[in-house]
Formats: sequence, C-alpha cells, structure tokens
Amino acid sequence: MEILVCLKQVPDTEAEIRPTADNTEINYDGVKFVINVYDEYAVEEALKVKEKVGEGTITLVTLGPDRAVESIRTGLAMGADKAVHLDDPAFLGADAYATAKALAKAIEGMSYDFILCGMRAIDDDSFQVGHILGEFLGLPSVMGIVKFELSGDKKKATVHRQVEGGMEVLEVSLPAVFGATKGLNEPRYPSLPGIMKAKKKELKPVKLADLGLSEGEVGKQGALTQVSQFSLPPLRQAGKVVDGDTPEAKAANLAKLLREEAKAI
Amino acid sequence: MAGIWVYAEHKEGKVKKVAFEILSEAKQMAEKKGEPLCAVLIGSGVEGMAPALGSYGAQKVYCVEANDLGTYTTGGFAKALCDLVQQEKPSILLFGASVNGKDLSARVAGRLGVGLATDCTGIGLDDAGKLQVRRPMFAGKVYAEMAFADASPQMASVRPNVLTAAEPDASSKPEVAKVAATVKAEDIMVTVSEVIKTGGEKLDVTEAEIIVSGGRGMKGPENFKILEELANILGGVVGASRSAVDAGWRPQSDQVGQSGKVVTPNLYIAAGISGAIQHLAGMGTSKVIVAINKDPEAPIFKKADYGVVDDLFKVVPALTEECKKLKAE
Amino acid sequence: MLPTREIFWNVGNVRIAVYILAAIPVLIFAYTLYERIRLWRLGGGEPRFDRLGTRVGSLITYALGHARILRDAYPGIMHLLIFWGFAVLFLGTATIVVQEDFVLPIWGTTFFHGDFYLYYSLALDVFGLLAIIGVLMALVRRYITRPERLDNKTDDAIALCFILAVLVTGFLLEGARLAAEMPPWGRWSPVGWSVASLVFNQASLQGLRVTHQVLWWIHLALSFGFIIYITYSKLLHIISSALSIFFRNLNPPAALRPIENMEEAETFGVSRLEDFTWVDLMHLDACTRCGRCQEQCPATFTDKPLNPKKVIQDLKGLMEAKGKGVIARMRTWGVEEDADASPASEEHPMIGERVLEDEIWSCTTCGACVEQCPVFIEPYPKLIDMRRYLTLMESRFPPEVQTAMRNMENNSNPWGIGSATRGDWAADLDVKTLADDPDVEYLLYVGCSGSFDDLNKKVSTAVTKILQTTGVRFGILGAEEGCCGDSARRLGNEYLFQIMAQQNIEIMKGYNVKKIITLCPHGYNTLKNEYPQLGGDFEVYHYTEILANLIAQRRMTFTKQLNLKVAYHDSCYLGRHNGIYDPPRQILRALPGVKVVEMKRSREKGFCCGAGGGRMWMEEHLGTRINHARLEDVVACNPQLVGTACPFCYTMLADGIKEKELEKKYRASDLAELVLEAMGKKAQ
Repeated sequence: MEILVCLKQVPDTEAEIRPTADNTEINYDGVKFVINVYDEYAVEEALKVKEKVGEGTITLVTLGPDRAVESIRTGLAMGADKAVHLDDPAFLGADAYATAKALAKAIEGMSYDFILCGMRAIDDDSFQVGHILGEFLGLPSVMGIVKFELSGDKKKATVHRQVEGGMEVLEVSLPAVFGATKGLNEPRYPSLPGIMKAKKKELKPVKLADLGLSEGEVGKQGALTQVSQFSLPPLRQAGKVVDGDTPEAKAANLAKLLREEAKAI
Repeated sequence: MAGIWVYAEHKEGKVKKVAFEILSEAKQMAEKKGEPLCAVLIGSGVEGMAPALGSYGAQKVYCVEANDLGTYTTGGFAKALCDLVQQEKPSILLFGASVNGKDLSARVAGRLGVGLATDCTGIGLDDAGKLQVRRPMFAGKVYAEMAFADASPQMASVRPNVLTAAEPDASSKPEVAKVAATVKAEDIMVTVSEVIKTGGEKLDVTEAEIIVSGGRGMKGPENFKILEELANILGGVVGASRSAVDAGWRPQSDQVGQSGKVVTPNLYIAAGISGAIQHLAGMGTSKVIVAINKDPEAPIFKKADYGVVDDLFKVVPALTEECKKLKAE
Repeated sequence: MLPTREIFWNVGNVRIAVYILAAIPVLIFAYTLYERIRLWRLGGGEPRFDRLGTRVGSLITYALGHARILRDAYPGIMHLLIFWGFAVLFLGTATIVVQEDFVLPIWGTTFFHGDFYLYYSLALDVFGLLAIIGVLMALVRRYITRPERLDNKTDDAIALCFILAVLVTGFLLEGARLAAEMPPWGRWSPVGWSVASLVFNQASLQGLRVTHQVLWWIHLALSFGFIIYITYSKLLHIISSALSIFFRNLNPPAALRPIENMEEAETFGVSRLEDFTWVDLMHLDACTRCGRCQEQCPATFTDKPLNPKKVIQDLKGLMEAKGKGVIARMRTWGVEEDADASPASEEHPMIGERVLEDEIWSCTTCGACVEQCPVFIEPYPKLIDMRRYLTLMESRFPPEVQTAMRNMENNSNPWGIGSATRGDWAADLDVKTLADDPDVEYLLYVGCSGSFDDLNKKVSTAVTKILQTTGVRFGILGAEEGCCGDSARRLGNEYLFQIMAQQNIEIMKGYNVKKIITLCPHGYNTLKNEYPQLGGDFEVYHYTEILANLIAQRRMTFTKQLNLKVAYHDSCYLGRHNGIYDPPRQILRALPGVKVVEMKRSREKGFCCGAGGGRMWMEEHLGTRINHARLEDVVACNPQLVGTACPFCYTMLADGIKEKELEKKYRASDLAELVLEAMGKKAQ
C-alpha cells in the first residue's frame, strides 16, 4: 500500500500577517510556521489507513522554501515514512495552478495507490490544488471528505463528502485524489521517539531540473493569477454598544446593524 | 469569443441566491465590456429556473442537461461545463463560492488551464477588460487585489452575502439555449451511492456560518429554546460555552472554546457568556461578534463588534422577531 | 548485696545455644533484607548520597524525633511510645550483650549493678509499659475509632499483636523472676513487681521457676520470630522508612527531575517498574499506609479515582509480584539474574492496570502528599513520571491537552493567542521592554496569564503601577517573553518544556538578566527551582516578596481604608512548594481596614484550587469540583473577600464563586489589586 500525502507549510493561524512596505508581498519576519491543519488531517488519515491495512509506505510531497523542512519533519514524526521536497526558487511565488503542475510532475514518476491532501490551505484559501492535481494526473478528485474507508480489495474507497445540509457518500475507484477537511479525524501528537526517528527518515530534495519542466511553467512565471496588491482589512473597531431604551428597541437596532452595517444576516 | 458567464448553482428547483448577486454585479461588467451576460444551469430538468436568472440580468441562459447530471458530481459537471466553455469561449466565468461552487470551479480551471480566484468579495474589470478581483487571504487577515494572465476565461468564485442582488425585473426574459451534454461514466469518475441529509442547513458547529451561543447566563437547558429559534431564523446552529456544557445543559459537541471546538463563523452571537479567555480562544476570529449580557463588565464586550447590555431573555426573542421581519422583506 | 541480676538466671548455660539460635533469625533477616534491597535496585540510579550531614540530621529530627509524625497528636504520641519503648528495650538488651560479651571478658569488670542497674531497671520497665500503652492506643484507634484514612489488613493486626506479645511475655517473665527471687530492689521494676504481686503471689518457687523457663523460651522465640517477621511484613518500615527519611529529597520539592540526554535516550518516562529509580522503589516499601497523604489529597477529597496511598500500595504490589520472579531466580544458586528475562510490561502491566490513566491525570501536583508523608515518600512525582511515558512515548492524554501543547509550541502560551501580542497588556502603562532599555534592576516576568487573561491582566497592571510608584526599576520582555513551561512539564512533555525553558534562558541571558520578579507562583517555581537544571541561574522573587519588603521598608503609603475581612488562599506553588506563607499575610495586614482570617486548611495544609499539574487546561469530568470544595472553606469562615496571589487560584476561585452563584456574598481578588486600591489608585 503506497500513499502520497501533499503537505504544505503555512503561517500559524495566530501569526500577524503584514504586507511588506510596497504591499506586493507578505512580510514573514518573525512568523511562526506550521503544517497546514487540513494537511494534518490528510497525514493522519494516511497513518490510520496504513495501520488498518497493516503495511504500507506513506510519502509526503511538499512544495515550499527551505523552512518547509521543519514541517515535513513534523509529518515524518507523526509517522510518515519518507518525503519529497520540491525545493527550488523557481517553484516559489506560484498560484494553485503552477503549484499543482509542479506537484503533478513530481508525482507522475512515483507509484501510489491514492493521494491525500488538505482540501484547502489556510494561507491562500484557494481550495484548488487538490482538483487541479487530479486533473493533471487524470484522476478522480473528491474534496472535503470527512470519512474514508478503503475497500477490502484496496481498489476502491468509499468516502463521505461534506456538503451544505448533508453528506454525499461516494464510491471512488483508485487511484484518486482526496481532500481532507475538519471532522475526518483528530491528528495525533507526534511521540518523542517519532520526533527523533523523523530526523533520520529520507527527505529527498527535488529541483526544477529533476522534473523536466521549464521555468515558465512553474512558480511565479507559471502562475495564472497574481496578487497585485495586499491591503489590511479595516481595523476591528472597538465594539459598539447598541442603543435602545428597551430590550426590544435594542434588538431592533441590533438587527438593523447586523443587516446593513455588518452584512451578517 | 465573448461573454461573461455566471454558473447558476441550484437546489431543489431553485437557483441559489448568490447567482443573483453575481449577475447583478456582473451586469455592469458585461455592459462595459460590450459582451453578453449569460447564465449556465447544469442538471436535469432545469429549464424552469431560466426566467429567474433572466430577471436578474442574464441575457442568455444555457440549460445543460443530461440524465447523469441529476446529482452533482465534480467530474460530470466539469465535463458538461468545460465542453460548453470550449465551444462558446466566454471571456469570464463566475461561480458562487459555495461548497460545490468552489469544488466545480477548481476542476474546471484545471482542465481549461486558466486562472481562478476563490471566494472573492469584489469583482470587476481592469483597464484591459480582464477580470480583476479582491479577495481575503490568510483567513481574512489581509485582502488581495488579484490580476489574471491572459488565458481565457478568467474565473472567480464569489463569496455569498457580500454582493447585493438588484431588484429583479420580471419583464426581462432571457434567451434559453438547451444543450444536451455528453457525460459518460469515465467522465464522472465516481459513483454516488447516497446523499444523506442532516436536516435543513444544520452543519457541525465548526462549519456553520452563523452560531448563536449560550453560556451560564442561560440559567437552564430549557432556555436554550430561544437560542434555537433565533438560530433557525438566521439559518445557523446553536453553540454553548463551557459553563453550559459542564452544567449538563448542552452536549459536549456544541461546546465552543479552547477545550471544545474552535469556530470561525461569519456571525457569532454570544448570549449570557462572560467571555473567559478559553471561550474567546474558540471564537475570537469570527467575522462579526455580538454579545448579549446583563453584566457591562463582562470581558466578552471587549471582543464584540456589537454589544447589548441587557437581559438576554428579553433581547433574544425580540431579536428573533426582528429577524423574522427582515426575512419576510 | 549489690542490685543486679544474673543473666540467664534459671535457664541454664544456654549462652552459646542462644547465640547460635540467634544467628538464624539474624541471617534470615539480613538475607531477606538484602533481597528486598535487590528489588529496589531494579530501578535506575539516583544520586542521593550528598549532604550526608543534613541527612543524618534528618534521621535525628524525623525518625528519632518523630517531627512529622507528631503533627497529628494522637497517632503521633501513640507511635512515639511504641518506637521509644521498643528502642529503649532494645538498647537494654544490647546493654546486656555489651556487658556480658565485651566488657566482662575483655576488662573483667561489670557495670551492670548498683545505681546503674536500678535506673536501668526502672527505665526499661517504664518504657516497656509506655510501649504497651502505645500498642493499646493503636489497637483502639485502628479497630474501635476506625479513622477514615486507615485501611485494616491482617498484617496490621499481626504486627500489633506480635509486639504486644513480646512486651507482655517480657513483663510476665520478669514478674515470675521477681516473684521467685524477691530482691529488695524489686520495686525498681515497678511493672514487673506488680505482675509478681498480682499474678504470681500464690505460686510456689518450683512452679515459678518452671513458669519462668517456659516464658523465657517463649519470649525468646517470639523475639526471634519478630526479627524474622520484620522483613515479611509492614514492620519492614523500621528499616525502609528510616532509609526513606535518610534518602529524602533535599532539592526544592517542586523541582521535578529532568530527563537527561533526551537526544540519546530510547525511552522516556515510566511504564515499567524498572523505569523508576531505586529511591522510588524504596519508597514503596517505606509506606505504612498511614493515610496522611490520602487525607490531604484534593483529588481523593473530591472523589477522583486518585488516592496517593493507593498508588504507592498498588505499585508496591506490582513490585512484589515482579519480585517473586526475581527473588526466585536469586535463590537458585548459580543462575544469572536477568532482569529482562520476563517481559515485565506484559506480565505485570503498570499503566492501565495497576494505576489507571484517570488516576494519573487527576493529580494537581499540589504536593500535599509529599508534604504530609512522615517518611518523605514522594507519590506525585511518580505520577508525573508515568505522564511522561504516556505523553512522550504514546501521545496518550486527554484531547484538550493536545490543544494546550500545540498552543505552547506555536505561540508560547497554552491559550494559543498570538505571541506577537504578548506585550500588549502594557501598551498604556509606560513600561519599557528590555530591548528598549536593558538597564534595569529587575525583569518583571509576566507569564501567560498576566499577559493574556483579562482577569490577570489586572494583576499585571496593578503590580506595574505599584512598582512604578515605589521607584523599583524594572522592564519586561514583551513579545520576547515565552511561557515558562510549567504546564508542559507537569503534563509530562519534558521535551517541550526543555525547549521552551532553553529559549527563555537564552533570551534572559542575552539581556544579562540577574533578578526576576514573577507574578505567577508556577513561573516562580519553574524559574527559580527548575531553570538552574538547564543552566539558567537567576535570583527569582515572587511579587509578594517584593511588596512585603517594600512595605517593611515603608516605601508604600496607604491612603484608603479597605474595610474588608479577607481570607487568604495559599497557592500550592507559592506556599507548600516554596514556603512563602508570610509575605502575602504581611501585605494584607499592612493594608488599612483589612482583617485577615485563616481558613481551616491553610499554610502547609492548604487545599488546592485544582488548577495545578496542568489541570488548568483539562476538563474535570470525575468526582466533584476541587475549586467548589475549596470554596466551602471560604464560606465557612465567612469573609467578604478571598485573596489570592496566583493567577490560577484567582481564576479557579472567581469562577467557582460564579458557578455556585455566590457573587453577592463573596468576591475574589488578587493581593496586588488590593494593595493598589489601598494606595488610592485604580488598576484600569
């Protein structure tokens, strides 16, 4: 059983995200980085499948700068067996499309029964890489799974995909790409022996040249969308105390504010 | 060739509101570009929804149908849509950023080899007539203006409840083009065995867009009824603070907070919750926070966008009434 | 005729025979003791041979002096009588041995006569009687009064009866001898003389002689049997408890043992008996089930499955079960003893079977068990060792704990609030960070609660204003400050703790920090007592020490009458673990209009608020609420305010007041806020 898990390193959810002075990039100074939480669900599910089947190899695939190694090691500490790190300046500055292209090329040459990834990354919030990866590899892609069950013959998977107002139960022939979301499992906390062993597990760097792609196809040059400018959202104003002489009046004012000002209802 | 297209997601015979919002916004874009504004319905037996799309500005409505398109599948719908797009060649393709909207648009963008911006809060055209959008990133901590490569169509999914739907004009009738899609099993790539409904719009508290939460101030389990009523009207779910769960009033699965669940709804209404740090850790990144509490010193007021210092047992039912009125409008 | 008595009177020339016979129990005793010590040595090493002078002093104070045992009057005196009664009688017999087998043959003289003999006889009789009284007190206590903290096993009955039998036969036999010999100085043995008069007054000389012989041999058999019985029963505590006192922990009580060489170690924490140290295993044999730990334990009090006495006894049972195999192999001459031969964890599972996970996680590390134990057994550190195994080796802990640990890893606080905002509480207070101005006397180490928790930010603000008003020069680290790691360590995550501690130490050393003031007693304990383990040696004070000093130096003026009756709640980590009981009380007494009342369980016997040991971050599902239990003590002394000097205690008590809907009657406040108020200033 061979499982690939796409893993991305992203800033911690509590990190302060500030644009650079010219507003074209994000200033990552002092920012703490972690594994994208949705990818953690993917890693955890891969581990659970491996434990259930009783054997298998889990390979992490990451596209990211040098610092991503730390997150890869965390994934290895959770129990993944080895990793491939697309680590080349040419890969950086990509959008979902260019990222998926590079990942797909790296994965093309690998053998796998299925691929798990996070449905979304909490930095870009694009929700795209999983599907585009599936498209490049010619595989079915199901994003947003909250339950995964491998068939006895390991040729199919039955998954529950979360939608508004319910759940779809899908049967998917393998190989396929699955995007994990919250509710699929509870990612394990790496044990200390796991952390120590992870330091020695295979982490293979992959450069542009290894993939046989040109610079124009990946990274910033290969991106089909681009951020032209970042801006900060309006500062969360100090809260307003809602006026009103009676509770009913306050409720009315609140409803009005929520609809018109906050556009929340 | 040309055309600004809006994918019109529908459910149980009705078009989702976000499509109307996008059409209203895209109308100006289409006029500026001098291209037709079209809508696309995919499914089985969808023609009846075309007039509604017309009333919001769609000049042409493609009704793409096939038997196998009765239920949404990424593969089936992507095939049908891509075939049509490759044939008609619109310049811009827009979706609502619902669960399936985000889903479908991604696979389509991959297949067409075009740029896609997800969950936009603003759409428009740049000087060259290409799509230009504004969208939140990093869970809303920054906003990004995004530009597209030339590849056509430029795609975007738009966040629901942000753009405003115009007043519908029932007299505006669209041209309806029926398209028979060819969708085979190998296109669909999955088998849908079952669709489980969990009742209304009820999601797990962590996935809900609107949460109405109660704390110790609720004074008892039976009082949560008023929160349930408010949540129902708003289309949200009921959450609880640790005090309420500890007291046995609500199940653990409803607990919002550091040792319960961390939630990121668009609207979080905290009734009778003091706002201890462990609770704030669970809902602090909600987009809009409303606090209703008798105690003006309650820490939650520091975090809330709107605070009502009054008796929740009076305010909440009144708020429910107000929301009912708004909904009826 | 000189007062004396003939050794071996009436029993014949049995000296050699007795000595040969004596060899049996002595050898059995020695060998069984040796086997027992071999069991302890299944555990790993731990250096406790330092400061021998202090250790000998501890023996004198706590073993001979019964200092901790006497904290409870009745059982204290009861045991004192038995102990000293027996000790004196033993010395008495030893005196005879010295007399007969050394002094006499070597120097040809005897001292066993005259006044010496008279006082000797009196002393032995008196102490023998006291011992009997002690045993009777014990029998009454155990079988009639039946205090809750005692559980009764057959061994207890046998031990007491055995002692009583030895003593009683001793007096009977003395009575028989006195009745037969009728020496003029007979009344110098008042008890024996009374026995002679009351029991043997009608007997014939011949009858007395026979009785005496029989009693003498019975008494000998009982005494030899007693010696053997020591190592097979709770009487082993005669040796093991003394050793436990001698080898007591001389380091600060709440400084947990670090795990050394984490990079090279293969296993972490304790999951098998052998993972403990020999000191831990010795503790298991030192326990006499006195139950004082159980009586003070907040978990036991609130019906959690955790009971420190039970933990020690369960582990002892495990050691004996494991020991059977070890000892069996030892007794097979010539066979190599192989500790790994039996896979201990399968045969004798510890966690989950002997000690349940619920027991392990229920501990608040309040230290009452360690403080109360008369023989210095350390129950709770063993639980932390087991937590280390569960956390580090198996990642097995309550799910809320994972969130807290992740948050500490990513944002250096268990709440997971953005670390960049750590200094924001001080935004309007004109406080400089060390980065801006390192030239200060003190680093004010604020801690996570003081930085992020609304309630405790008031304390940070109050302390800041007080220090500024009194001219103390200090700075903060702001966003550079990291969590002290106390919770991580107590949850068993030694790895995370060491990483966080090392980070902090590096930053503090970078600013050449010498003196630190902490707001939180947990931070105080960790920075003061645990950072030195990792190379961080600083002079650490809790803010109450500083404030008490400032008050004593008259550097504070109080202008407002507070008119409050305040009950002060001792934080476990400030009070019991670090002995800071008085400075907070001095502060309160100095505030105008404040009357301080002591709660029932205060100072060394203070009752925990329930948040220590990482439990602040865990749900309390089992039993009743510890903070609610503590509030009963508050209610009982009816103050207006319960004062705290710890952010955890503050939170737990304030929450508890709300939960029990007592806001109209009581409120909780930190001492700093009261001080500021008395100074006529506001915290906001």
